[in-house]
Amino acid sequence: MNSKKVMIVYRKELMEVLRDKRTLFMILLLPVILYPVLIIGFNAVASRQTGVLKEQGATIAIQDSVNTPVSARLLDELSKVEQFTLIPAAGNAQSLYKSKDIQSIITLRDSVSTDGLITYQVYVQYDETNDLSGLTFTKIRDALMVSEKSLIEEELQLSGINPEIMNLIDVRKLNTADSQKTMGKMLGMFLPYIMIIMLLSGAQVVAADLVAGEKERKTLETLLVAGVDRLDIVIGKYLTIITLGMINLIVNLFSISFSLQYMLSQAGMDLSGAGMPIKAIFILLAAMVPLATLFSAILLSISTFSRNMKEARTYEQPLLMVSMILAMISFMPGIEMNNLMALIPIINIALLFKAVMMNDYQLSHLFLTILSTVVLDVIAIWATIKLFSTEGILFRSDEDGSSIKSIKKGDSKSKRAFFSPYNGMIYFVLALLLLFYLGSYLQGRDLGSGLLLTQILIILLPVLLVLKIFKLPIKETLRLKAPKLKEVVLVPFIAISATVLVALISQAINTIYPFPAEYLEKLGKLFEMDMPMWRSFLIIAVAPGICEELLFRGLMPRFFEKYGIKVNIVLTALLFAAFHLDPFRFLPVFLLGMLLGYLTLRSGSIVNSMISHAINNSLALFMTAFAGSSWLRLFISSQEDLKYWLAVPAILILIIALYLFHKVTGGKECVE
Amino acid sequence: MISVQNLVKAFPQKGGDVFYAVNDVSFTAGDGEIVCLLGVNGAGKTTTMRVLSTVFKPTSGTAEIQGWDIKTHPQQVRNNLGFLTGDTGLYNRLRVHEFIRYFGRLYSMQDDEITRSMNDMAELLDMEDFMDKKIEFLSTGMKQKVSIVRSIIHDPPVMIFDEPTSGLDILTARNIISFIRSCKERGKCVLFSTHIMREAERLADRIVMIHKGKILAEGSLDALREETSQLDLDDIFVYYVNRYAESVTEGAKVEAHEF
Repeated sequence: MNSKKVMIVYRKELMEVLRDKRTLFMILLLPVILYPVLIIGFNAVASRQTGVLKEQGATIAIQDSVNTPVSARLLDELSKVEQFTLIPAAGNAQSLYKSKDIQSIITLRDSVSTDGLITYQVYVQYDETNDLSGLTFTKIRDALMVSEKSLIEEELQLSGINPEIMNLIDVRKLNTADSQKTMGKMLGMFLPYIMIIMLLSGAQVVAADLVAGEKERKTLETLLVAGVDRLDIVIGKYLTIITLGMINLIVNLFSISFSLQYMLSQAGMDLSGAGMPIKAIFILLAAMVPLATLFSAILLSISTFSRNMKEARTYEQPLLMVSMILAMISFMPGIEMNNLMALIPIINIALLFKAVMMNDYQLSHLFLTILSTVVLDVIAIWATIKLFSTEGILFRSDEDGSSIKSIKKGDSKSKRAFFSPYNGMIYFVLALLLLFYLGSYLQGRDLGSGLLLTQILIILLPVLLVLKIFKLPIKETLRLKAPKLKEVVLVPFIAISATVLVALISQAINTIYPFPAEYLEKLGKLFEMDMPMWRSFLIIAVAPGICEELLFRGLMPRFFEKYGIKVNIVLTALLFAAFHLDPFRFLPVFLLGMLLGYLTLRSGSIVNSMISHAINNSLALFMTAFAGSSWLRLFISSQEDLKYWLAVPAILILIIALYLFHKVTGGKECVE
Repeated sequence: MISVQNLVKAFPQKGGDVFYAVNDVSFTAGDGEIVCLLGVNGAGKTTTMRVLSTVFKPTSGTAEIQGWDIKTHPQQVRNNLGFLTGDTGLYNRLRVHEFIRYFGRLYSMQDDEITRSMNDMAELLDMEDFMDKKIEFLSTGMKQKVSIVRSIIHDPPVMIFDEPTSGLDILTARNIISFIRSCKERGKCVLFSTHIMREAERLADRIVMIHKGKILAEGSLDALREETSQLDLDDIFVYYVNRYAESVTEGAKVEAHEF
């Protein structure tokens, strides 16, 4: 990287962006105008409502069917409210109410209980959806409650009881939260949301222009042949997006802060110590920097990937949606910062935000948040640089696509056309939806048969149907082929050692991020089903071994063949892990998925991964079944965890078995 | 000086097929020489030039620009190369002098050096009136002049023009043509591509005919006329294309025979 060239690119991009009036307006002017206008407008509308009531007053029709001194006192109290005009209700009261000539109708009734006590019912007719009517109701209720209190006091005095009995219990608030904390909670609710969205939308305005815009205006090629490395171009543009995102954020933040202070001072609130804590703002801005770098990297890669600006804008939308949803999490009550939350991008910043605003944050969370963001950052930037060196993507314009025509072999045209990554993702999403709705319904009815039906109806059947409908050869497509004897001998060694290792990894994760108790309980149910051993074995080991394998090692890899075997294995393993709808087991399932994908794609036979999958699943069953036996205690600690020393033999066996497997399958790779 | 050796550029296609845009191409272009890459649309001209200018990486084979290998020394190759296409876009929001200075800096030039070179060329191309204007307000002809200055601001010994006149009106195109000639006079090595026969006839010292990624023929116009006994470059080109088509089908026959 040549920092001088990076700066040349950066300065030029910044100058060019800041000369664009539209961008300037969005980033600088809009926030400066928006918040004061919003807040002043809000104030004006709110005070107008009370004003209207004050000016116009409310006319209320009274129907007093009781006519006692008590009801007279109630009405007397109402007539004291200065905006109210009371009129006796005539026959046309309802039509007057409908035409809004009167705002409410009050009907007084009384009833006598069995022990002779008279109670009064006051029916207040009003329109909940109308603010003015609602305000009128509140005033009526307040006035009636004043009357009620004095009436009861009189009654008590008559009976010789001290009226103070009414204040028997007096709840007083002793709030330990200081004014900063209260303010912080208020701001912490919506500020992170606004800031994250602002940051993204500011960066978004610029990002689409920087690469997709250059493609559209045909300046990119000129830049690439100029005396500058692509890395320098990427970094220069990247810094431009970060800068403008942060500028937009800062302008927004100060505009919000000043507008809020204005609003609070107008409302006559005590501002001493309750203003926006300036120190907090700076901590937050610092915390937003990693997020700015992350958003910028993602936006830059989107911009690089897109043919033109319009396409870039389209691809940016999902990012905005996801960020909004994640940012909204900070609104939800009960969601607090912990080690797990600190790892999820956007949520971690939003929660950190809330914590900082309440002056109640832990350094470890700050550290984890920044760490996880930086890791994602590096990945995103690396992907952008990769994209920037991918000729097909850099020169993906409408014309290029048509001029380079592919020469296809005729025989497998329909197969090739069907097995595209796009169709793969569609299939996966549909299967996931089916699993989510139908699967949870089936398992809710009866766990055992539900699991079996899920495997057969949701996972296996669609695979076969799709192959039948598209007239694809089932055996060949799914790699349903007998494995070599040498392979089958090695598979159990691989499966058992891998299972042990993955279990150890899960345990390690569990100690850092303890699984919730209800989750473990649910998982435990799986192994405590009241059924004979052979049935559990069938449901837990055999069925997934066959059905899940046919989907994830049979069908799915066919969709991603164009990416080559390594990427294919990783992609299908990711989908496999996502399919389990279980964040706590994502990593272990992903690792197993990679191993299973390797076994099938390397050997060309799905039977290998089927055996391995079945062994893996049955080991957990096996351990539950023999939980009491003394020899198993050798491997399992008192907390029912595997002993960590098992990792050493497991790694050794896995390495040797995989090495041998690689050797005996040598030369078979991609032979189709 | 450009020398291209067995250059291959293949693009992977959907479904695992490979498309050979440039297939085993070799030729040279010397200093003070104008070489024309002639071929129909989609023949592989642009791809060849993009590989030479380090925008694309070659699949196999290589090329040297002024003695620098495009694979091992891309930075030096770019510094020795001026690249101009007919439909180059410009940064509309920059002023002309800012735009040229930007590229000069990217070529690691000093600011005073850029100013001197820029002023010389502005005088030469009669651009002094609009050096301070924003590019978005320029006419097509003015923009093309800006592009020219951009491509030679670092005074490269080798110039590559990819379809330099496509999409331009006659007057602007003439500016480009005379600029290409002036490059030759100053001893630069010039490679330009076109599908317009007349342009090749008028400008080129040597013509390299390219078709479906392969070189059909190479030589001066006179040598090609002699070899084909055709006078018109159109006819010469068609002659070679037909011969290529025949050789391909014959080749297939031979292959079929062997099996």
